[in-house]
Amino acid sequence: MTLNAQTSDLLPGFDHAAFDSNAVFRVLLDAMSRPGRIYDLPVHITAPDGLNASATATLLAMADMDTTIWLSPGCATKAATAHLKFHCGSPITTNVAKADFAVARCDEDLSFITELSVGNAEYPDQSATLILLVDDVSESTEMICRGPGIKDTHNLAVAGLTPAFHAWRAENHHLFPCGVDVIFVTDTKIAALSRTTRIEVK
Amino acid sequence: MEQTVNQMDDTASAYNFAYLDEQTKRMIRRALLKAVAIPGYQVPFAGREMPMPYGWGTGGVQVTAAVIGPQDTLKVIDQGADDTTNAVSIRQFFAKTANVATTEKTADASIIQTRHRIPERELREDQILVYQVPIPEPLRFLEPRETETRKMHALEEYGLMHVKLYEDIARHGHIATTYAYPVMVDDRYVMDPSPTPKFDNPKMDNMAALQLFGAGREKRIYALPPYTKVRSLDFEDHPFEVQSWDDECGMCGARDSYLDEVILDDKGNRMFVCSDTDYCTERQEAGHRGPQHHDQPLGSTKSSPNSEKAAE
Ligand SMILES: [Zn+2]
Repeated sequence: MTLNAQTSDLLPGFDHAAFDSNAVFRVLLDAMSRPGRIYDLPVHITAPDGLNASATATLLAMADMDTTIWLSPGCATKAATAHLKFHCGSPITTNVAKADFAVARCDEDLSFITELSVGNAEYPDQSATLILLVDDVSESTEMICRGPGIKDTHNLAVAGLTPAFHAWRAENHHLFPCGVDVIFVTDTKIAALSRTTRIEVK
Repeated sequence: MEQTVNQMDDTASAYNFAYLDEQTKRMIRRALLKAVAIPGYQVPFAGREMPMPYGWGTGGVQVTAAVIGPQDTLKVIDQGADDTTNAVSIRQFFAKTANVATTEKTADASIIQTRHRIPERELREDQILVYQVPIPEPLRFLEPRETETRKMHALEEYGLMHVKLYEDIARHGHIATTYAYPVMVDDRYVMDPSPTPKFDNPKMDNMAALQLFGAGREKRIYALPPYTKVRSLDFEDHPFEVQSWDDECGMCGARDSYLDEVILDDKGNRMFVCSDTDYCTERQEAGHRGPQHHDQPLGSTKSSPNSEKAAE
């Protein structure tokens, strides 16, 4: 295969880099500022095999050569790796502890999450962000969220979350100000849980 | 000054939306997401030189540049007024580099960049308030070393701050700090609210809008997500109190807004007017009248003292 053929296999990125990145960032800013609230992906983008549209848009908007990406075995396809290397220029690591962004499918083995960087007491911002590909998010009362960004409560249900995930999340919250922030992505929707969010699991 | 600013953004607008390049915006955006996830904590960022001096709010300008999109409507205020040199040139900067709509009406803005005031009108969930911050570290005047203040925040060592406020009480009989009055965010971080009057501190508490803070010289970003608990530091026997006035606004008669004293002549005649120009104008348009109104063209008396003051 020639170099030309490889390049032409690549899917396009954003239609308009500045406007689309801004629109995706604004949704992520809203989602992180209002944990548990569900937002629509504001752009059309084709996802490579291994990722979905919202995960792809999130990484194209936020990641670049200054951020390291870790992809789970289910996400680390040739297509996804090539796509992120080309469009973000990000180093892709196999060491999850080095990840700024860790990307995984919800139905995979998530035992890696305990190895994610949580930052340190003086620089709690030096922590990883977990991007979790899920089939569905809804406002059913699976998780009742409280904390900064939430007026009374926000209800959030994420398809396929396990008791082990919830246990990790609760522990993660108690590390504050350290901790991992989580972004749930479906093909069309985005929701986030900040490390500040207190969750009552129903 | 204004000429320099205008010349530089003309060159920039051809290349980058909202002046900054995409990589710089991404870096600031990542810092902003961390800032909302850790309310009140100062996130370091690799600030860029902006085509205006530091005192002009380059931190706020960089935050606004990273956040603003073509669908936004921007309002910029300085001491509550939209018509000061600083506010006008920042508004023009974004009108040129991002081609966004601008407004002087608080209700019509999706992003409000501010220096020294929070609008009187209650902000909504679909609005973002961006503060220009000169000194982001509330502990800086107690401890000049960044490594030490960072440790103090990490360990929640805020005793010195309380000692400082208590010295105020010992010296003046009350807490004399009236600007940049320190707040405790979500029971964890002590934060500098920027040099707003302490009158505005209660508005930060549980605000529906997202609040973002940018310090250009010190390259720090911090944030308050909506509905976050923000408490002004105080003591049981000396509870926090905001300024109050015996007077009302001479133009609109408001008794609930922050008033500026305006000298009318060299005979010592003076009046009070709302520092928030839009609030005062809205009230006058709704028919409210203060004692000095006399039905001149709206805003004519107050706009000149405000611009004089901002020119410093
Ligand atoms: Zn008034």
